[in-house]
Amino acid sequence: MQVRVWDGFIRGFHWLLLATFLGLWFTGGKIEHIDRHEQLGLFMLALLLTRIIWGFVGSESARFQHFLAGPKAIVEYLKAPREFQRFTHNPLGAWSVVALLTVLLAQVGTGLFTDDAIFYRGPLAHLASSDTLRLLTVYHKQIINFIWVLVILHVVAIVVYRLLGKNLVPAMIHGNQAGEGNQRPPVIRHGGWGYLLLAVNCIWIFYFLG
Amino acid sequence: MIRSVKVLVSLGALLITPSLQAEPFENAAEAVEYRQNAFSMIRANFGVLAGMARNEIPFNADEAKTRAQAVYHLSYIPWQGFVGMGENAYEGTEALPGIWQNKADFNNKAEALRSAAKELVEATESGSMNTIRPKFMAVARSCQQCHEQYRD
Ligand code: HEC
Ligand code: HEM
Repeated sequence: MQVRVWDGFIRGFHWLLLATFLGLWFTGGKIEHIDRHEQLGLFMLALLLTRIIWGFVGSESARFQHFLAGPKAIVEYLKAPREFQRFTHNPLGAWSVVALLTVLLAQVGTGLFTDDAIFYRGPLAHLASSDTLRLLTVYHKQIINFIWVLVILHVVAIVVYRLLGKNLVPAMIHGNQAGEGNQRPPVIRHGGWGYLLLAVNCIWIFYFLG
Repeated sequence: MIRSVKVLVSLGALLITPSLQAEPFENAAEAVEYRQNAFSMIRANFGVLAGMARNEIPFNADEAKTRAQAVYHLSYIPWQGFVGMGENAYEGTEALPGIWQNKADFNNKAEALRSAAKELVEATESGSMNTIRPKFMAVARSCQQCHEQYRD
């Protein structure tokens, strides 16, 4: 039996996130691409905000409350990973999702307050003192290292699961996962609502910050 | 004994004074302020060109030319502020000690800015943003290449 585990928005979000991240990486630090970098960064902000909202109002499998688990659950999961049968992130992966979203948000957030001392200032730079701008610009250049660590861990984890016989990638593409055991399938919300929310977020973000 | 020390001190002062007078700054703080102010002026003028190149303010050929000339002339100014006081870690500077360790390379990067700025001035003669824009970016890159290495 196939169970729908990731709704259309989560899947689209994930691959848009990957593409946007690569675009940001490529344009970052190259002064001739700064305008493109800013646009991609604003889109990234829209993606992240929408994902966070979706984590409260979206499909059950996408809700933080549904997949975040305490240390006890993580220990239990590590003891018997194969017994984990829920249709969402496992207790360890759940925290990696939160960590990734957090560092990405910190990266975009500091990006809004950058000053390159040449000709560019981030869209919210006028709100901060020049000392603050200097500090946040330095952070913006450093946080990317944390992001790479987490992204590499993320991809390595996916590969390790694969080697251990569990392929997580197809579900992130077509949304379905083989349903084993007698776990109840998650309540799935139509991904279209997620995209609508994304469009609304894009509009106000680009209007006020673009 | 005391007298001979006095004589030595005044002799020393005589020897030192002319070289001190060649330095326009009383102390490191003044030199830092001087060069930072020079860079601020460069940025302010370059910023107007940036606004035009990035379509944030309307293009005005005369204004672009004036600003490019200002950047070019100012690109001779900051370097006198990098006097031999870099090793004393001084509060308020973002200049890295590498400047004083690789003075030749630092000077090359300053020269790269000057020649890029000269080409920018020439491009503004054309009165066309499409000619100016690549030269504008070349100047920006020369700023960035120096900052990456020598500005904290
Ligand atoms: C050859 C090296 C070099 C080049 C080229 C260069 N800079 Fe700098 N710039 C520095 C250094 C070093 C500092 C740090 C000065 C300090 O804090 O003592 C600095 C500082 C600055 C500052 C900060 C000033 C302040 O108030 O603290 C601005 C703004 C600036 N540069 C703009 C520019 C612009 C714009 C260009 C190109 C048009 C440029 N710089 C080209 C080396 C360079
Ligand atoms: C080739 C590269 C990548 C592959 C194959 C991949 C694969 C996956 C898979 C299979 C999942 C689901 C995990 C699960 O079942 O619990 C997932 C989730 C996730 N990935 Fe990736 N990923 C990649 C790159 C990235 C990058 C670059 C980022 C961040 C910049 C990222 C961020 C995330 C996030 C935030 C989630 C959680 C999704 C959600 O619940 O919204 N991924 N990824």
